[in-house]
Amino acid sequence: MPDSSPTADIQGIDTPALAEEEVLRANIYALLSALLIAPPDEHILSVVKNLEGDDSAFGTALTDLATQARSTDQGDIIDEFTRLFYGHGAGGELHPYASFYRTGFVYDKPLADLRQDLGELGRARTDCTAEPEDHVAVLMNAVHDLITGTQGDKLGLDGQKDFFDKHIEPWAGRFFGDLEKAENAEFYRPVGTIGRLLMEIEDRAFTIAA
Amino acid sequence: MTEEARKQKTQSRRAFLKGAGVVSVAAAATTMISADTAEASEAAPTKAAGYQETDKVRAYYEAARF
Repeated sequence: MPDSSPTADIQGIDTPALAEEEVLRANIYALLSALLIAPPDEHILSVVKNLEGDDSAFGTALTDLATQARSTDQGDIIDEFTRLFYGHGAGGELHPYASFYRTGFVYDKPLADLRQDLGELGRARTDCTAEPEDHVAVLMNAVHDLITGTQGDKLGLDGQKDFFDKHIEPWAGRFFGDLEKAENAEFYRPVGTIGRLLMEIEDRAFTIAA
Repeated sequence: MTEEARKQKTQSRRAFLKGAGVVSVAAAATTMISADTAEASEAAPTKAAGYQETDKVRAYYEAARF
């Protein structure tokens, strides 16, 4: 797999540890990525079932997701994922691509811009997924990698803010809002809420740090 | 920005993220996902926390390949 390349390993060593809150927000991105690239397997479901939020809106959404995970059959979640996402033009209710949200077309300029910026950040295209880089799950994973310095250098908060403002803020909140309200969403409804709230929190947190 | 100002912004940011529920909530996910990838962390004990999780995500990508 590409992530086991010597370069990635070397760069992980001797890098100062990230502050706890930065690691934790990166992990929320990873969780969203894992839930949106494919239906959850046994492992991810077991993680989700044990999530415990505090009494903030965000925490409540996490707790809701855990409740859904405990009360929904895995097969039903797979069916729901299919109804929500299965293929652009193939009957999926949502099209989780930046390009689609921003221009109405997939594979349009927002994707080209994103590819260029990821290239400049040293994140070359991998063949891990058939989805383009502007698929929400691939993008959430990219942010996780940029925060934690996976597959390349860490990106500082200023760089993260630029990336967020350019590639995420213009559309991701709308997508997560659509997921929250989607006709077919039950298990994925709180996933939408978590994503929408994370985008709002990130936007605000970047402003505080700027 | 002075060192002091930077420190203060970092603290404000941390306080905000905690208040917003990200820190306490995410801690649970981190612990469980990290435990599952203990082997990976044994192989690279000096890596920053959170690194190992990406292997997991990439595994999902592999699984999602079609």
